[in-house]
Amino acid sequence: MIDIKNLIFEYDRGIRVLDNISLSCKNGESVGLVGANGAGKSTLLKLLVGIADKYEGEIKVDGLDVNKKNISKIREKTGYVFQDYDSQLFMPKVVDDVAFAPVNYGFAKEEVDRRVDKALTQINIEHLRDRHIYKLSGGEKKLVSIATILSMEPEIILMDEPSIALDPKNRRNLINILNNLGQLKIIASHDLDMIMDTCKRTVLLSGGRIAADGDTREVLSDKELLESAGLELPLRLQK
Amino acid sequence: MSRLDNAIHELNHIEDVAGRDQWVNNIHPLVKLALTIIYIIIVVSFGKYNLSGLIGMAVYPAAVFILAELSFKDSLKRLKVVLPFVCIVGIFNPFFDRIPIYNIGSFTVTTGMISMLTLVIKGVFSVLASYLLIAITTIEEICFALRLIHVPSIIVTQVMLMYRYISMLIGEVERITKAYSLRAPGQKGIHFKVWGSLVGQLLLRSMDKAEAVYESMCLRGFNGNFYYSEKHKFVMSDIIYFAVWLIILLVFRFVPIVRAFGYIFG
Repeated sequence: MIDIKNLIFEYDRGIRVLDNISLSCKNGESVGLVGANGAGKSTLLKLLVGIADKYEGEIKVDGLDVNKKNISKIREKTGYVFQDYDSQLFMPKVVDDVAFAPVNYGFAKEEVDRRVDKALTQINIEHLRDRHIYKLSGGEKKLVSIATILSMEPEIILMDEPSIALDPKNRRNLINILNNLGQLKIIASHDLDMIMDTCKRTVLLSGGRIAADGDTREVLSDKELLESAGLELPLRLQK
Repeated sequence: MSRLDNAIHELNHIEDVAGRDQWVNNIHPLVKLALTIIYIIIVVSFGKYNLSGLIGMAVYPAAVFILAELSFKDSLKRLKVVLPFVCIVGIFNPFFDRIPIYNIGSFTVTTGMISMLTLVIKGVFSVLASYLLIAITTIEEICFALRLIHVPSIIVTQVMLMYRYISMLIGEVERITKAYSLRAPGQKGIHFKVWGSLVGQLLLRSMDKAEAVYESMCLRGFNGNFYYSEKHKFVMSDIIYFAVWLIILLVFRFVPIVRAFGYIFG
């Protein structure tokens, strides 16, 4: 579903953020993307949906090269949750924001309504439907921002720090939701405990390179490996 | 609630009103946009001394206020920032155009006074018509209507994004001023020495935010076009609403109805 070969990405000033990344993810997989600040997690996710461009190497999403020609098809299949929920939410009301993608993809009103209802129900936020976004708490905004991409019914879900701003109850709720989603999910996060609960596979980025790629329990219980990448063991594994 | 909070609240309130499920809100946005444009053109086309004819044009805003169940008092409150500017437009007319027309007691009414009043009323009516359009039509619907009359996509997108960014910009201003006041207790307002850096910060943050919001829109299928499903297909009631108003406005423009009433009841 996602194939990345020898990916190199530099910002304008010649700072290499991703260095020779090769990665392959299949349908239905749940992949945790972990690494210290500046390791390149967000950049990698952005490259998959064409927000960042001018890369070297090859990125294919569902068999399509990530380029200007294919980008709208790729974006239709891919839901991207921003780290900063304020960037994700721009409509006045929750219902308008969740409906934004289905409306833009030209679905009929009944279908838009069905998708909105389904997305809100999936996240358990039906009660927020007619609320103004600016009046929501940080945690509520985060949940709404996830609902905005679920209404697209995407084949691939990319999430950048989805558990930020969530209280323990909503975080647990999110974990349950993620575990019930059958799509390919790539979740970039510093919340290693959440990664343990949601992802069978984890990719550890360090200095723009893949430092480890394997079973989540194995990667996240390797103290030396994590510390060399600027991380710590997940809280549940710390004594 | 701070003034900035209040501004965001006001913006959202107008969106709420515009999105209500009333029949006047559900009229096709193109009909409402076209009527507003036609109304403004007709209002502006009145001669500068044709005060009686112009007064008759109050029929449109008055009727829309009633049909949309809008509060006239609240609307005037919202327009209080703009209306003084409108009133200033013709302020010099009485000084340059001093031909006397008639006397009311010892007070002489001049053509300049009439033309000033006409200009003010034209301005007030035009602002009211624009406000009413916004109050019964959401920004997405207005943009959709603008695209239907082939206003270039890039301009329409700018209009919509600008509207969307207003609340975001106010939010940023609020965060910056709060952060400042928390570290500058006892100061009234912001010291002029830091205005430059605060405005610079605001600009940079707003640009970043605007870019992120635009990216978020593009990732959810936005490509500059506005799609509306069958909610906005023309129906017979739209055509009737347009035709009735067009006839009424043309009648009020070309038939001196107010003057006729004056003769009858005067």
